[in-house]
Order: sequence, then C-alpha cells, then structure tokens
Amino acid sequence: MPPNPFRMTFKTLPYYLLFFICLLSYSQTQDLYNASLIPDELSDKVNSVVRYHDTKIDISAYNRMLVTEKRIITVYNKIGDRNLRAFAGYDDKRTIKKIEAFVYDKSGNQIKKFKKGDFVDESAVSGGTLYSDSRVKYLNYTPISYPYTLEFYAEIDYQTTAFIPTWQPLEKYYNATQNSEYQIINNSGVELKSKASNFEGFNIETKGPLHYKASNMPAIAYEEYSPDFDSFTPEFKAALIEFDMEGVKGINNNWQEFGKWMNDVLIADTQKLPESVINEVKALTAYTNDPIEKAKIVYQFVQDKTRYISVQVGIGGWKPISAMEVNQVGYGDCKGLTNYTQALLKEIGVESYYTVIYGGSGRIYDIDKDFSSTQGNHVILCLPNEDDYIWLECTSQTNPFGLIAGFTDDRAALIIKPEGGEVVRTKAYKPYESLQHTKATVLFDESGNLEASVEIKSTGYQYSLREAYETKDVKEQNLNYKNYWGNINNLQIDGVSFKNDKDEIEFVENVNLSAKNYASKTGNRLLLQPNLFNVVSTIPARYSTRYLDFQISRGYEDQDEYVLEFPDTLEIEALPEPVLIDTKFGTYEFSIETLDKNKVQYKRKYILNKGSYAKEEYEDFREFRKLIAKHDKAKMVLKTK
Amino acid sequence: MKSIILTLLLVFNLTLTAQNFKYGKVSDVEVIEKAHPLEPNANAAVLYKSEKIYFVYTSDGFNQMREVHERIKIYNKEGFDWATKRIVLYRGGGGSNEILKKVQGETYNIEGGKISKDKLTKQAIFEEDVNDFIRVSTFTMPNIKEGTVIEYAYTIESPFLAIDDVILQYEVPINQLEVAIATPEYYRYNKTFNPKAQFYPVIKESQENKSATLVSSSGPTTSINAPKNASRNYSQSQGTYIDYRIEINETNIPALKDEELISSLDNYRAKLGMELTAIQQSGGGFKTFSTTWEKVCENIYQAPSFGEQIKRSNFYSSDIEPIVGSISDPFTKAFILQNFVRSKVKWNGLYGFTSPKGIRNAYKEGAGNIADINLLLISMLQSSNVNAYPVLVSTRNHGVPLFPTQNGFNYVICMVETDEGYALFDASENFTSFNVLPPRAINWQGRVLKPDGSSHWVNLIPNKPSIQSTSLNVTLNDDFSAEGVVRKRYTDYLAFDYRNKYAFSSDDDHITKLESGNGSIEISELNFENAKDVTKPVDVSYKYELQDAVENIGDNVYLQPMLFTAMKESPFKSDTRLYPIDFTYPVSEKYIINIMLPEGYEVEILPQSEALTFKDEACIFKYISKVNGKYLQLNISLDINTTVIGTTDYTEFKAFFEKIVEKQNEQVVLKKV
Repeated sequence: MPPNPFRMTFKTLPYYLLFFICLLSYSQTQDLYNASLIPDELSDKVNSVVRYHDTKIDISAYNRMLVTEKRIITVYNKIGDRNLRAFAGYDDKRTIKKIEAFVYDKSGNQIKKFKKGDFVDESAVSGGTLYSDSRVKYLNYTPISYPYTLEFYAEIDYQTTAFIPTWQPLEKYYNATQNSEYQIINNSGVELKSKASNFEGFNIETKGPLHYKASNMPAIAYEEYSPDFDSFTPEFKAALIEFDMEGVKGINNNWQEFGKWMNDVLIADTQKLPESVINEVKALTAYTNDPIEKAKIVYQFVQDKTRYISVQVGIGGWKPISAMEVNQVGYGDCKGLTNYTQALLKEIGVESYYTVIYGGSGRIYDIDKDFSSTQGNHVILCLPNEDDYIWLECTSQTNPFGLIAGFTDDRAALIIKPEGGEVVRTKAYKPYESLQHTKATVLFDESGNLEASVEIKSTGYQYSLREAYETKDVKEQNLNYKNYWGNINNLQIDGVSFKNDKDEIEFVENVNLSAKNYASKTGNRLLLQPNLFNVVSTIPARYSTRYLDFQISRGYEDQDEYVLEFPDTLEIEALPEPVLIDTKFGTYEFSIETLDKNKVQYKRKYILNKGSYAKEEYEDFREFRKLIAKHDKAKMVLKTK
Repeated sequence: MKSIILTLLLVFNLTLTAQNFKYGKVSDVEVIEKAHPLEPNANAAVLYKSEKIYFVYTSDGFNQMREVHERIKIYNKEGFDWATKRIVLYRGGGGSNEILKKVQGETYNIEGGKISKDKLTKQAIFEEDVNDFIRVSTFTMPNIKEGTVIEYAYTIESPFLAIDDVILQYEVPINQLEVAIATPEYYRYNKTFNPKAQFYPVIKESQENKSATLVSSSGPTTSINAPKNASRNYSQSQGTYIDYRIEINETNIPALKDEELISSLDNYRAKLGMELTAIQQSGGGFKTFSTTWEKVCENIYQAPSFGEQIKRSNFYSSDIEPIVGSISDPFTKAFILQNFVRSKVKWNGLYGFTSPKGIRNAYKEGAGNIADINLLLISMLQSSNVNAYPVLVSTRNHGVPLFPTQNGFNYVICMVETDEGYALFDASENFTSFNVLPPRAINWQGRVLKPDGSSHWVNLIPNKPSIQSTSLNVTLNDDFSAEGVVRKRYTDYLAFDYRNKYAFSSDDDHITKLESGNGSIEISELNFENAKDVTKPVDVSYKYELQDAVENIGDNVYLQPMLFTAMKESPFKSDTRLYPIDFTYPVSEKYIINIMLPEGYEVEILPQSEALTFKDEACIFKYISKVNGKYLQLNISLDINTTVIGTTDYTEFKAFFEKIVEKQNEQVVLKKV
C-alpha cells in the first residue's frame, strides 16, 4: 500500500484517534472494497477503478509457469462492467487451479460469492472461426447497484510459456488504477528478457528485479485522433529465450533466432505439395521468367482455389496447416493460405517470406522491433522486389495483387527468411497513391433540377474503401450512393457501372443521377452549392482542454472537377472567390471558373497528410477542418434573366 | 431433322437429370449453371431441400428423428458462406441430448470438362458444447469454387417432443422444397405460419396407420421440455397407432431480402412452427396446453412459475408496507413500487414470461429475467390492493402472436386498472415509467390475464405522441456568426431515449455529442433538468455560438433559419420498400424560432408559410414564417400520428419527407437597408 495522502492531513490529536479507530475497524485491504474511499482524483470521469491488481508469474521450468492473479475493481456503470476481467481461458496446456470471485456493495459489505462451479464455461471461439479447442470460464454477474466492487482470484497452471502475461497497469480509457503490482519469479534456469515502455511520467516504483508497482494513476479520457492507447501508456513485457509452445520447444534470443525457429520448426515441414499441383502451376507460369509476373499468376491461382476458414487446434494457433491439406480441401486460415502460396512459389523458384503482423484498419500497431517474442495476430506474404517488398494478403479471394492498404499497411512486421527473422515496415501509401478523383458534368434546368454523370476513380487506400460497392446488389448500390451524397435531397440514381482494374489497382465508378430542386429558389434567384459530390462536413470534436497528442494515421488526396451548365434563361449573379489553404496537416483549394456564359467549372483539391502532432496543435487542425467545412458548402447564385 | 431430334433429346435429357434429387445424383447441368434463372443476382441457391420429421418407437418410447438433405449451388464468392453449415443440438441434461447422425457431404466441381467429387471428411466436422444447453456441430465443405454444387445430409435424433421450427425460406432462392412431418396420435401439435412472411406454402394433410410394440406408461408426462420417458412405469403391448402427416411440396421459393429499418429479418421469414398442444394421458384423454387464447392463458396462469408466483407476498410485505402503506392512489402506488422493484432486482438480460427460480429467489439475489421483475411488481401491487394484471407480450424481434400458442409470447409486463382507465408498467429498465415501456415490448397487442381465468387483448402501441419541442433564439452578429440559446423539452419515449443516451454522461461528453455533426458550433452553459426524474419531462438548455451561420454572397445574406436544428437529409432513401416502416410510437416535433436581424439589414425574401400532409393527416408538417420588426419568427411542426407506414404508401411517404427536408433548408435572403 502506498501512503494514503489523505491520512497525512490528519494532524490534530482527535483526528489521530479517529485514524486509529479507522485502522481497527478497517484493515488497509478492506478499504479497497469500499467505493467511497477512492481518492477523488481517481474517481473523476471513470467507468471503473482498479483498486488492487496483483499478478505473480512463477516460472519453474522452460515449459511451466504458474500465474496467480488477485484483482479488486470498483465499477461505476454498465460500461465499467466490461472491465471486470473475471475470466480465465483454458485448454490442454492451461489448467485453472483456482478461480473465485466476491462481490461487495458500495460500502464494502460482501454480498455475493462465486465458486469455480458458478463460472460459466464456454467455448472461446471468436467470430469468424469455425472451431477452436480453447475454452473459457467467465463470471456472468448482473450488478444490483452501482458502484460495486468485485474481487477476483485465479490461479492458472501453464504447461506452455510462449505467452507470458504482460503488465499494463493503466488498462484502458476511463479506467483509473489505484494499485497494480506485477512480479515474475524465474526459477527455470532459462534467461528471461524483458522490456519496459512508457514508464516515465507515471507513478511506478521498482520493488525488486522483475517486480513493479504502480499506484494512483488517474484515468485518461478518450479524445479523437489520439494515438493507440498502448503506444503512450506503460507496458512491461517478458519472454524466455527458450520457451515452450504447446509442447514444442522454441528459441528466442532475438528476432533472427526466433524467426529461424519459426521457419525450421513451424513452417518448413508443412510445405510439401502433390506433383499434380506443382505441374499445374509450373505450366501456368512457364511463359515468363519474371518472378513478379509468376507470383501474380500463383496469387490468382490461390485466390481461385481457396477461401478463408479458420480452425484453431493446439499449436495450430501458430503453426500453419500443411500446404498439402490446403490443396486438398481448398481452405485455410491466414497461416495456412499464406504458407500454401509460399509453398507454390517455392516450387517455381520464386522467393517469398511468411510474415507475422498485427492486422487492423483502425488500429495500426507494430511488431516491436527491439523485443522478440510471440507477437502479431495475422500472417501475410512478403515478396522481395529488388530493394523493396511486395505484400500479399492471401486470405482474400478478390484483393488485387500487392494491395495492402487498410489492413496491414504502414507498420512493422516480422518476415521469416530461411536464415532467420527480420523486422521491416510494410508499405505506407502516400496521399497521391490513395487518390480519389471525381469528375462530373451537371446540367441544371431553370427551376433548379439537375441531371449529372459522375465518374469516381480511386486508388490505394481509397480503392480499398470503395471497391466493395461493386459486389452489392443494385438496391444496396443505389442506397450507398444516396448515403454518400446525403447532401443532395431528392436524389435519384439512374444508372451505375463499375470498372475494377486489378492490374492498375484502380476502381472506376460511373453514376448517372438526377435530383429535383437541388438549387433552392428564392424569388428570381437560384442558390446552389457547386460542390455537389464531395462535401466534408465533419469537424473534429472540440475539447476545452486537449490532454493527448494526436495523429492522422493515413494520408489521402481528393481531386474534384465538375462542369456545371445552365439554360440560357439563367445568368450568374455571384460566384464564390477561390480559396487556397496550406497547413502542415494538408492543403485545400478550390476555384470556380466561368467557361462560358452558362457554364462554370468547379475544381477542388484536398490533401490530408499523415503525421503525429502535439496536443497544442489540435486547435489549428480543427481550424483547418472548419475552413474546409465552410468552403465545401460555399454557394453560387444564379438569377433569371 | 436428325439434329433437331438430337437437340430435343438432349433438352429432354437435361431436364430429366436436372430434376433428380436423389442423394448423390448431381447433374452436369447443375454444376455448369452460371446464374440463377429466376434471381440472377443470387449468390447461391438451394437446389433442393428435404426435411423429414417423424417419430420412431424404441424401448425408451418415441424418439424424434429429423432427416435433412440439402443440395446447394454456389454461384460466386459472396456465396461461399453457404458451404459452411452450423447445426444446433439441444442438451436436456441427465443424458437426454440430441444426437447428430449419418452426416455425409460431397462437393461437386467441373474439372477438365468432367464432374469431380470431394468428400466431406470426418475430421472436418467439429462438435463443441457452446454452453450447458446447446451443442453445435459445424462443418465446411472442401474445394469450394465459383459454380460449385454441394450436397449434404444428416439426421438429428432427439429425445424431446418439442419440434423445432421448419425453415421454409432462406436468404437465397430455394428451387425445390419437400417437407414431411409425421407425428403419432399421442402427441398433438398445432401448426403455425409466420403471418408477416410473403410466402405461404400449400399443405397436404393425411393420416397413416402404424404399428409397433407399445409401452403404456402409468405416470403422466406433462412437461414439454422434459424427456418423455422420465420416471414412469411401463407395460408392453403390440399395438397400432395413427401418424398425422403434413406434407409441403413447393418449387421456386423466392429469396428472403434484407432491408434497412426493420427489427429483424427473421420476422419476415416463411417458417412452419409445430407447437405441442396436448399429450394423451395414460387413462385416455388428453392433457391440453393450448388450443384457444383462453386455454393458452389459463394454462399459463396455472403454471407454478407464473400464477403461483404472483400470489406470494410474505417475503417482501414488510419492505413495501412503509413506502406504500399510506398511499391510496393506485397509479401512485404503481409508480413507487416500480421504482422499488427497479432498485431491488436488476434485469439479467433474459426474456421470458415465467420465473424459472421463483420471484422470491430473484428478490433475494437482486437479479432476474423479465418475468421475475414484472411478476414481482404485479404481486406487490396486488398485495397492496391494486388491480394489477400480467400482460403477455411478444417482443418486436419475436413476431406477432396471431395464433393461440404459448410460444407466441416471450415477455410479460404489468397493467394497472382503475375505474378511470389503465396504465402499463415495466420495471426491467431505468427510465421506463407510466405507459413508457422499453421499445422492445411495444409490439401490436398483449394479452391481459385476470385472476378469474379470463383474458383479453390490450393495445400496446401508445396513442399519445412523444413530444420534442425546441425553442431557438438567434442573434446574428456583424461577422455573420450567430449566437443564442436553445431550449428543448422531451416527453415520454423521446425522454426515455434522451435519458438513456445522456443521463450518465458528464456535461463535457454531453456537449461534445451535441456539437458533433453540427459544424463549427460551440456549446456552453448546458443545463440538463430531470435527467433521472421520470415523473417530469426532460428539459435541456444551452448557449451556442455558430460561425458561418449565414452566407454573404454579393450584396445579399443567405440564411437557413432553422440553423443546426434542421433535418439535414431524409432518412428514407430507398426507392421502394419490401416491409413496412414501424416508428413504434407517435411523435410530435415543434420548433419556435426567433431571429434578431443584424443591424442594417432587412428581409428581402422569406420562405412561404406552408402545410404538407401525408395520407389524411396521418403526418402533418407546418411551416409558418413572419417578420416582426427586427425579428424573424418561425413556427414549425411535424406530427407523425401513425406508427406504421405500409409498403404501398412508401413512395408517397418518402416524397413527403423529402419535401420537409427541402422546406427546412430553404433560405431567407437579407439585403442591406
């Protein structure tokens, strides 16, 4: 227990007496069950407060560890219920020796008890997985009132050491931590490496070797455009240099050796293929000597032959199912399909590397270059291309060759070469590589109705955002456009066609549309917004004080060119002035030019740069976006002659 | 001539092979087909589905068998999911579980002009216990490509009498459907069809004599979910009995299409329900469960987990006496006890109209299902001499109870009746109140059960509109920014929604959410009254500043007078509608807007006052504008008096909303004096 700052203020004798009485009736730990004794600075803006969390990891051998957890958490509301973490996973190699929980009301009186048999036992299959052999016991508790406090104990015996629990004393947004302790006792005789990150600025003391304690960490509120929570909050991770993964011994001095182990032990023996498919692929690729061209053929072959199905059994969480099996059944998970593609490429003499990575579109997360351990949640394939790499997503049946924008772009990944592992960065798409170019011709009649034909070409990240339109049914496609162009009331979609050029990675949409009364009529004037098809109206949220630095994780570029035509009965009364805004966050410009007495051209260009910025710059970024929102709705005025 | 005959023969031959639905007889034509002939956009199609349900007599009594055989065509990659099958098996405890048997499957592809076949292997079939009640068996077929035909068959052997719904419609078309159900005369089932479905099958009914060595039992079997062989004495005899048969033979059942703004696609799926209504007793005669609404309700009321529960009062009487003892008004009592129950027993997320462990247990544990909570409320009210009755409800995602079945209901609420009228209560959630139920429970009508055994329907759809009224004061500054005060009031369901959204938010978060999507607005001095007091409407007020409120183009100033309170776009975008739109409750929105004009400007053009109506004033929109010296005043309202918009009225309704958006976004033109 840290010294309680409130106690130190009791200076006069009567208060001291009071203090002693307190001590007698409430031991220090008992204080932790009482919600009203949480210091004010920890209970401000929280869903939950971790009162006390103690993780002890006792490693007795390279393949054995005992993890003991004690956790006391006070929960303030329904969202906080999700932070209970009163569960334990188990399978062949993980045994739950003890699991129990106690619930206390807001004054710290025990109101409920849960023994092992009271926990719900369920399969731990996650969405998208056909089958997994791992299971979970979790607490299913309906709170009677808030706040309440939950005490949870678990003791898990691991016969595998590949995943040593990490320590994150500050767990998530809107959650404060009063006390959190973590200790590893390593009696295995095997060297343990560890890494502490982001400890500076947080109240963490070192109690001994591999023994830390954090106290009184106030909650952090979420703010838009914040970097990943884990990237600025404390974390401690550890790994054995010789470990056991589901009965298989692994080596992990560094990424090079860890990669070599993966290659030799997990991958090498899974790449055998039947003669027939080898011959088939050889025949298909015989016409060219270009390895990239050959790889394209193989990628297409795999896309046509397979689909994504995930089955996780035993070491199958890390070892791919054999290429032979994928070839036979025509499905596999990311590991199986990547490995199958690699095996095929190997047979025709094209080098490629199995690659471990964190997949995710919203969360861009790196494999830690400086700390080798079991990391990552996804596997892709890396194809060396002179000084650079081409990255292949093998779980998609439709993805163009080499496109990774959106799910695995711009992050550190572990590539497994036969000689060992290496951490490299995947492709980051520059704004001009994630381009959306919209061209339109718009015809107005004298009452403000319009007919238009629009062409949208997208590449890179913007390609990946839009190409799914193609496979939807017509009703849904129309609805997509009506939502995308929600700024046009009475919108009617008259026809849609697509061209998906997977070689150039360019998606072209052609849309014919019409809308009644687009221009609003006031007297003899028609008022209309020339930016019809690409309006940015959202402005990042305002915070009276911004606490966190911010980042724009992907850049992109939009170009728009619309020609607007009017009947001779109308003439232009007023046009908005051209605008150019140039900031470190990006640039925005638009102009309207008269092409003819009843024809104008609207041009717009908006580039958003990727970048990380200090919190003090957030208001500037908002200002930039406010200006864009303002200028995107700039109007022009026509009037009847 | 020869070639014509050959062609004819070929066509004839093709037609023949395409019609062979015997297991394993997949034809070239089926594998070659590129698109569905009737629904060319279909990603897959069920070429054939057969489901046979029958009972076989064994030494344990009758066992239910369900034989399923499906042949599915996969046209493209979006259809690949149809190659994975998930079969749910119920576990009854005590070893009486459903068992999956005789699983077989094959994948058919064309390779090098010939049909190739891949078998589903045993290793590719996974079984797992999802929880204590359900085991799931999953398999996915090998070698799926665009064009693949798969075929699989399996049998579920069940010790239970309850028959699962027979699904008659999928999200892809079914070309040929055969259903055959045979039930022995000892068990009577009532068949029901989904009234909201757009497809109805033709049913053929018949009887068939069967013979078996029968065991007659001397103990009654009354529970539907208990295995029928539980603790009885048997005597054997060779006997005959009658099977009641139901057959469905249909072709070309259209795909079930999804649509936005519906509660659950399942509500519109064609399906056949078989509810057990009676079991023959050992002494002859039937124990009936449900045949008429009166009978259904009587049975429910008599169930120990329902009517009996309401009668218990000793465990709480001393707790409620101090809080309602001195109160005489029944509605006030109901109000107080609703709050009391809410504070004592929390909803565990489960529906149900019966209390599985008893309301006393729920009261002690502090948590329970819907029945625990609302039966407790009813019980407390009855024991306080209030006329309170249970109302059985089918929730919005559970379809409409058109046929007299117990399965038609899944929820119960409370009704309080006096000479002046009645009110509905539900204590399972925060912020419900007098006639404000959780929206899930507002589905057509509910069945009121009276202690004397009688029952009748009560309308659940609120008559009274929920009101949102807004007063917006605007001062236009010289720099064309605007500032002022907004006052909003929400009643009934709109108050319920608002409280659920914001009652537990900090002011900062509340402001951030109010600002979101409203351009360069800054909100301050937020005041949120009656956030938790459900006896009063929600009152919210705040100050705002809005940059770029108006546009200055040339010599004129253009202004959309509703500012950020206008509807920005119509929520109804689809050209057509497959299913009705259900607003759940009537709504009335009112806006009073007062704009002080900037110095040196006057109104040149004002949007005209106008009224729009939809369908004999089922919905009314009014827009009244006037200039009053330095002030521009608007009075705008939208009343949605109906809760359901039918599909035939949709086009008109969509146009009505588009006109509202158009009108709300009309501009006022100001000019310099």
